[in-house]
Formats: sequence, C-alpha cells, structure tokens
Amino acid sequence: MNYRKFIIYQGTIGMAASMIFPFYVLLLKNVGSSYAQFGWAYGLFALTAALSYPVIGKFADQAGDKVLLIIYSWGMALILLVFPLAYEIWHIYVLQIFMGLLGAVQKNSEKTVLARSVNKETAGNEIGRYHIWTSIGAAIAVIATGYLVDFLTIGSIFYIASIVFAWSGFYMMKMEKPLV
Amino acid sequence: MIIIYTVIFAGSLILFQTQLASPVVEDRGRLLPVKMKSVKSSDSEDEIKNIVREANLHDDKISIAGMQHSQGGQTLYPGGIMLDVKQYNKILELDEKNQLITVQSGVTWAEIQSYINPYGLALKVSQSQNIFTVGGSISVNVHGRDIRNHTLIETVESFRLLNAQGKVLNVSRDENSELFGLVNGGYGLFGVILDVTLHLTEDELYQVKTQSISYDEYSTYFTKNVLQKENVKMHLARISVPPDSFLTEMYVTDYSTADDQSLLGNYTTLKRESIIAIPKFFLGLSRTNEWGEKMFWNTQKEYSERINGTYISRNNVMRSDSLFMDYNNASKTEVLQEYFVPINQYTAYIDDLRDTIKDEEDFNLLNITVRYVGKNEEAVMSYANDDMFALVMLINQGTSEESIDTTGRVIRNMIDVTLKHDGTYYLPYYHYPTKEQLIEAYPRSEEFFEMKEKYDPDERFMNLFYEEYHK
Ligand SMILES: Cc1cc2nc3c(=O)[nH]c(=O)nc-3n(C[C@H](O)[C@H](O)[C@H](O)COP(=O)(O)OP(=O)(O)OC[C@H]3O[C@@H](n4cnc5c(N)ncnc54)[C@H](O)[C@@H]3O)c2cc1C
Repeated sequence: MNYRKFIIYQGTIGMAASMIFPFYVLLLKNVGSSYAQFGWAYGLFALTAALSYPVIGKFADQAGDKVLLIIYSWGMALILLVFPLAYEIWHIYVLQIFMGLLGAVQKNSEKTVLARSVNKETAGNEIGRYHIWTSIGAAIAVIATGYLVDFLTIGSIFYIASIVFAWSGFYMMKMEKPLV
Repeated sequence: MIIIYTVIFAGSLILFQTQLASPVVEDRGRLLPVKMKSVKSSDSEDEIKNIVREANLHDDKISIAGMQHSQGGQTLYPGGIMLDVKQYNKILELDEKNQLITVQSGVTWAEIQSYINPYGLALKVSQSQNIFTVGGSISVNVHGRDIRNHTLIETVESFRLLNAQGKVLNVSRDENSELFGLVNGGYGLFGVILDVTLHLTEDELYQVKTQSISYDEYSTYFTKNVLQKENVKMHLARISVPPDSFLTEMYVTDYSTADDQSLLGNYTTLKRESIIAIPKFFLGLSRTNEWGEKMFWNTQKEYSERINGTYISRNNVMRSDSLFMDYNNASKTEVLQEYFVPINQYTAYIDDLRDTIKDEEDFNLLNITVRYVGKNEEAVMSYANDDMFALVMLINQGTSEESIDTTGRVIRNMIDVTLKHDGTYYLPYYHYPTKEQLIEAYPRSEEFFEMKEKYDPDERFMNLFYEEYHK
C-alpha cells in the first residue's frame, strides 16, 4: 500500500537530512566566524519557514501533498550541490533561506499526509509506529555519517545526501496519486 | 530530470574540486587572506626534501608555516606552496646530563614541556605562552619572561637546515656560522629548519611578588629590585590603559628563586588552561567601552595582588593562558605590536607615547604588558640592541580598509616615537611599518636581504614580509 511507501520515503529523506544536519554546522563554522552569524543563519531559516507556512498550507490542499514532496526532494537534491561551493557568509544566508522554505514544505506535508491517512481512533499507535521507523533511519544515518566524515570530506557528505534526495524525488514521482 | 540533475551534479563537483585546489589561507591576524597554490605537510624528512625538490623543478615559491601566529603574512605567499611543518614534531633526544634536547621543528613548547617536566628540566627562553612551534620561534628569535637569558638564539646549540638547493646543512656557531645569525630571526627565508638542539635548564620553584608602582618609578625599581637582585629570575609588568589612568599606573610581578626548593615537588604538575570564562568576559567588556576597560584593569590588578607571595614552578610560569584571547568576530580582529626601548629612556618614552595616542578615538588599545630583554646582537635582524623594556600592545581593530588605514597611521606614529627613543619594534606582526622605519630599527636589514639573495637567489622561500620590504 501507499502508506508503507510513504514511510519508506520519509525514512529515506529523514536519513539524508540527518546526514547533513549535524555536519552542516561544521560547514557554517568554516564559513562564519562569529556566534552572531550563527544566530543569523539559523534565525533566517526559522523566519522563512514561519513566513512560508500559510502559503504552503493552502497549496497543499489545492495541489496535493505529492507535488509538494516532489518539490522538496528535488529542491534539496539541488541545493545540496550548492552548499560545498559556499565560501562566504552571505552565501550561507541565502542557502539558509531556501533551506527554511524547503524545511517548511517537508514539515507541513509530513503532517498533512499523516492527518489524511491515519484513523482518528488509532492515531496514537499509528503515528508512534511511523516515528519509530523514521527515527531509526535518522539515527543510523547520523552515526554512519560520523564515520564517513573521518574518511571523506564534509563536501562529499553533501554530494551523497544530494543523490539520496534525488532518488527520493524519483520514488515520489512514481507513486500513485492520491498518496492515501 | 536525471540528465539535468547529473549535469548540475557534475558541474558542482568540478567547481568544488577547483575551489579545493587553491585554498585560501590566512594567519591568525586574519587581515591577510591569501590564495595559495596548495598546502603541503609531512612528518618525514624525505617528503619535505621532496617538496622542496619539486618546487625547484616547477619554480614554485614555498612559504613555511608553524602555528601561524605571526600576523604579517610571514607564512603566506600568493600562488605559493605552504609547507606546514606542524606534523614534523617528534622529540628526538634528551641529553639529561648536559641539559640538551633535540626536537623536530614543528614541535610546540607545550609538547616539550610535557616531555621534560618529569625530568625536572625546563626551557631557558620561550614566549609567555607555549602554543608556538620551535621553528616559528627560532625564525622570529623570540623572548619571554626570563630576565637572565635574553633572546631565544642564546639557547640554540645547533640545527639542521634544508636549504633552497635542497641540501641539508648543519648550522651552529662553528659550522656554517654565517647562517646561524641569519636563520635565527630569519623568518623562514633561508630554508626549512629541520631538527634543533636547544639548551635547557633546571625547573625551579619561584615565589611571586607583586606590587603597584607609578610608571616613572619603574626603571629605577627594575634596575635596583630586579636586575641587581640575583635571585629574581623572571619578571613582567603591566601598564594601565583606561582613560582615567592612561599609561600611568603599573603593577609588577617578579619571580624569585624560593628559599626552600624542596617544596618544588608540590608545584610541578603542569597547569592546564584554567577557567577562561572570567578573563574572557572581562577582556570582552574592555573591547566595548571605557567602563569595561576599567573593569578589566581592576580585575587584572586584583588578581595580581591575590597571587602575591604564592609559589609557582618555572615550567608553569612559561605556560600562561592564551585561550581567553581567542577572538571570533567577523569584522574585527585583534593584532599585536611590540616595541623595545632602552631601560633609561622608559619614562620619557611613555610620556611621548601618551601624547601621541591619547586623542586617537578610533584606536582601541586593550592591554599593554612590559617585559625585559637584555642586549643580544647575535642575530642579524636583532631587535635587542641594548638592554630594553619590551612593550606588547593588544589592539582591537576592524578588518575593513578604513580600519586598517587608521590603525596603520597610529602604529607608524608610535614607531616614530619608539625610534626617537633609540628603540626598535618587533617583526612578526602586520606590515604597518614603512621600509624606512624597518631600516632605522634594523640597520642590518640591507645586509640581511643581500644574504637572502646570496643563499636563495631564486627566491625559493618567499613570504609577504620579504615581498613587502626587500625591494
Ligand atoms: C598571542 C601571542 C603572544 C605572543 N607572545 C610572544 C612573546 O611572549 N614573546 C615573543 O617573542 N613573541 C610572542 N609572540 C610572537 C610569536 O612568537 C611569533 O609570531 C612566532 O613566530 C609564532 O610561532 P608560530 O609557530 O606561530 O610561527 P609561524 O607564525 O607559523 O611562523 C613564523 C615564521 O617562522 C617561519 N617558520 C616556521 N617554522 C619554520 C621552520 N620549521 N623552518 C623555517 N622557518 C620556519 C615562518 O615561515 C614564518 O616566517 C606572540 C604572538 C601571539 C599571537
């Protein structure tokens, strides 16, 4: 069934996202040079997310969750190719704005899909199970990446994550509509 | 979709590779980001020789880098190869009986201290902090708190030098002796210092004595109570920078051999960087405004009063905290200056200096320490042409062009004042001084540059310091 596929999809992008997130801070550290810049980088992320939720919400109901998830996957796949090239703090600011937007797309869609698919009566159980699988995926990814960084460079982590996102984009494109 | 993605992917990767290929590096002063061709490092002598050989083949310039705490591009050259010697850092031999140690030049003082402390041995000369490499320290011929040994060159027995032609030479006062005075204080321009044999001394227990005095009593105090008292071994002082007491108050710290050396064992554990939050906080405050400057001065003074009468081992005096000075701000940085003036000129010098900078609103002077360095002219580029006081200034400045201009103007004025009082200034910092100032402070500069041309006619070893001043 489609819901299973959705969990696989979420698990995969969860893994890809957790691959980069902790290490992404290392990149910021290379580029930025003060805590204030750190603050700004994350602040811009949160702020764009906040501003884009209303629009995303509306769009989700009209166009459907699938389109949004495809945008998210491909958006991430592409933006991760830009990260290794950033070397000035303003590059990071711009990227953070896009990341904020895409992050909001993912967060919102994750919830709308869940809301549309779970039973009201067994919602607790179902969402709980959903989180088990996605969290396990994320945990494995973070730990594995920790080892990878020892061998590869931070740059290559972004490329690998990008490929995973690209794959997830195809996976989502092939899924039947509606998702649930 | 796949095709578009693959194309973008490949494009990004290629760009990334080319970016990696020419790294932008800078020293800790952060005023000089420089694009180098590559950064190479090795822990093997053969590989280092190879790097020099290859550079000769391809006519590449080499800049040698230790910890890169020098601030005027002494480790940098655009398009050159940076030879990072930090990994070349083994301790090769300790001759306990003769108190000699042989080390590879990338080793830091901290590593040597950990190694020799259990043997009851200590360094003769090092900076106040121990974060620097031996190679970097020899190349600037450093000095520190010890008042009986003066500049580092006095403690260097010999070293091996990999020269521009790729040959290894033994250098000491007896062998290739001309190079001895050139490489000590030679800013990496005559070759790679490979391993070095240094004289050590015994670790000792010192008692700390601190005292407040006025700046115009300092010369007399120092001559009578420090230099002429044989048991005083180390010394340092500070002079006030807050506006209401600008360059008038001082407090001094003397380290004298303790009467009961049998207590040394209780004090030999090497200090780690202690809690840095507090000095860091007060230094942070002093960057922002006058009130903060006052607070910083007062806490420093109180601290100095508190340690009066306490005991400390020699090794621990030579590993003072530095982490709290780490400063992370994108648009500002902290730079150092150091001026040397003959002891008997001190009072008049401070009066002149005060007049020169008291109205400079945009010049943020955070701290001044004063130490002593006795005359030693063994190095061609010697700054200690008399028995001198050494004033180190910590300056907070912007990284914008305008800030660099302002700071540069004030610094050149200060150097003029210093030269007027028969003083000199220190070379590992930013190239604010003019060439005329360099020649006045270092009358043998021309000779130094001529020798560079003689030993390294192809300019294999290059850095921004040489580039700026040799023409
Ligand atoms: C916070 C701070 C405190 C300081 N305190 C003192 C002090 O108390 N007393 C004092 O005298 N100085 C002091 N200095 C200056 C400091 O000693 C010099 O900047 C010193 O050169 C730093 O050593 P480094 O390992 O960082 O050398 P680097 O900056 O890496 O190199 C300095 C020079 O040495 C050359 N070099 C390095 N290694 C080799 C090698 N193996 N062979 C040939 N050439 C080499 C480089 O090419 C360069 O020209 C201080 C500096 C700072 C930033």
